[in-house]
Amino acid sequence: MSAIIQTHDLSKSYNGHLAVSNVNLEVQEGEVFGYLGPNGAGKTTTIRTLLDFIRPTSGSASIFGLDSRANSREIKRRLAYLPGDIMLYEKLTGREALTYTANLRGGVDWRFVADLAERLECDLTREIRSLSRGNKQKVGLVKAFMTKPELLIMDEPSTGLDPLMQQEFYRLIEEVKAEGRTVFISSHNMPEVERVCNRVGIIRRGVLVAVEDVAALRERALHELEFHFAAPVATADFANLPGVSDVTVEDDVLRCRVMGKPDALIKAVARHEVVKLVSREPHLEDVFLSYYGEGESHAT
Amino acid sequence: MLRNVFLKSLRDQRRSLTYWGIGFSALTIITVLFYPFMSDVPELSELLEQNEALVRVFGGGFTDLTSPEGYLNSQLYSLLVPILFLIFAIAQGSGAIAGEEERGTLDILLSNPTTRLQVLLQKFAAMVTGILMLGLVLWASVLIGAAIVDMDLSIVRAAEATLSGMFLGTAFGTLALALGSATGKRGLSIAVAGAVAIAAYFINALVPLVEAIEKGAMVSPFYYYIEADPLSNGLYPAHAAALVGMSIVLVAIAVFTFERRDLAV
Repeated sequence: MSAIIQTHDLSKSYNGHLAVSNVNLEVQEGEVFGYLGPNGAGKTTTIRTLLDFIRPTSGSASIFGLDSRANSREIKRRLAYLPGDIMLYEKLTGREALTYTANLRGGVDWRFVADLAERLECDLTREIRSLSRGNKQKVGLVKAFMTKPELLIMDEPSTGLDPLMQQEFYRLIEEVKAEGRTVFISSHNMPEVERVCNRVGIIRRGVLVAVEDVAALRERALHELEFHFAAPVATADFANLPGVSDVTVEDDVLRCRVMGKPDALIKAVARHEVVKLVSREPHLEDVFLSYYGEGESHAT
Repeated sequence: MLRNVFLKSLRDQRRSLTYWGIGFSALTIITVLFYPFMSDVPELSELLEQNEALVRVFGGGFTDLTSPEGYLNSQLYSLLVPILFLIFAIAQGSGAIAGEEERGTLDILLSNPTTRLQVLLQKFAAMVTGILMLGLVLWASVLIGAAIVDMDLSIVRAAEATLSGMFLGTAFGTLALALGSATGKRGLSIAVAGAVAIAAYFINALVPLVEAIEKGAMVSPFYYYIEADPLSNGLYPAHAAALVGMSIVLVAIAVFTFERRDLAV
């Protein structure tokens, strides 16, 4: 494994406002990395710096071990980019837009393009200007996937896609991952990141506050459980159980949180007659918030 | 036509080039067709000689309408030709980089294995090619009109006068290109390049009327376009070189500024 994307104290400020501050990212070969943060946190700024559209105020970035500024052309030969707010040439048809890209990139396998278009239900015969936001996004996705790049950089890729197409998009990402290629996705949507990413980096107000393994995070996730019993129970019965916290008992209802194995709790609960069980699957965002003690909460 | 940035940019021009070509051609031929009526009225020339300022502004200072060169210079090459070349060139030049940037397509274009320099030079080449095509249309139209009214006009001189107009158009188109490349703002580029063009036109037309600052017209690109009267005398190399030099300097400025700045989203 080697680092595909690496930034060194990357900072970018606009008119004295620090949009990205000393970000040190490392994305490994073959992983799907989620770059998560609320809108305006600095995700797009980071990405556009990687692509040399904007220049760092300080620090540097390298992709494939090449300097993002000096070797931008060679880097772009090996990656594909999907911008957050996709803008394609309005007067071209989807196929023409893809043809232009294919020509600039030295060709493409058109059977693969047809396959991608079919899977995403993307009509390539229509002019871009006649397409809805979601359908433009699909053309953008075909464009990004079609050259089978070593690295895909996608800014909010599932925006505008309906749920079925989102699932298809996730499958495409998994195929890319299975082929050992690397994906960098920005998102403000935790469930999405949870669904497709191996690792996630959280950016807040330009600062990369944490980088975590998604599987490890999930293990640390607190499940909220609620048991309804046939008869009132005593709080003492559930005290000091390993992995169990925030225990409250109200007559015949027990509410608590469990981290990791629920075994001890289940055994304690099993001594009583359970009439109902309510379980809430936590969003990893909540895990993050509780773990890093960030006071803000964000709707997902 | 989608092979590369150059051909794509040319393709983007097709519609405006077609309409512009038709308009250019029609105006030119109609103007030339009026020659027989004007050359029959020598009194008109005398009348014009009495209104020097007006003639300089609207006819480039050419008062002899009885000769083919005098007539074409006065009615076509002094005002109409530069206006048509300049509007087209400034529209293309300002749109080349700033247009793509404002529409948001520049990010995707530059995510391909190309460079800012490549994109800029190919866009510049497409603009020059568009101007060249318009020049060919102008030249052909003048010759067609001249043939219809049996005007005694040198094919080569007509080409040289047209070439001078193309150099002028390219210079201002490149000014617009440089402004757009430096700022990413199309409207600003059109406004500034247009204002400079108008100022330059009036400087060339009116400054020579004031004896003390007679030479001041030399700051205007229009001076190098028409002062040596290429339709009568052929291209004056030093003046042609001044216009080409202006374009080269402006391309260099465009590259320098475009390479160094952040692109707008």
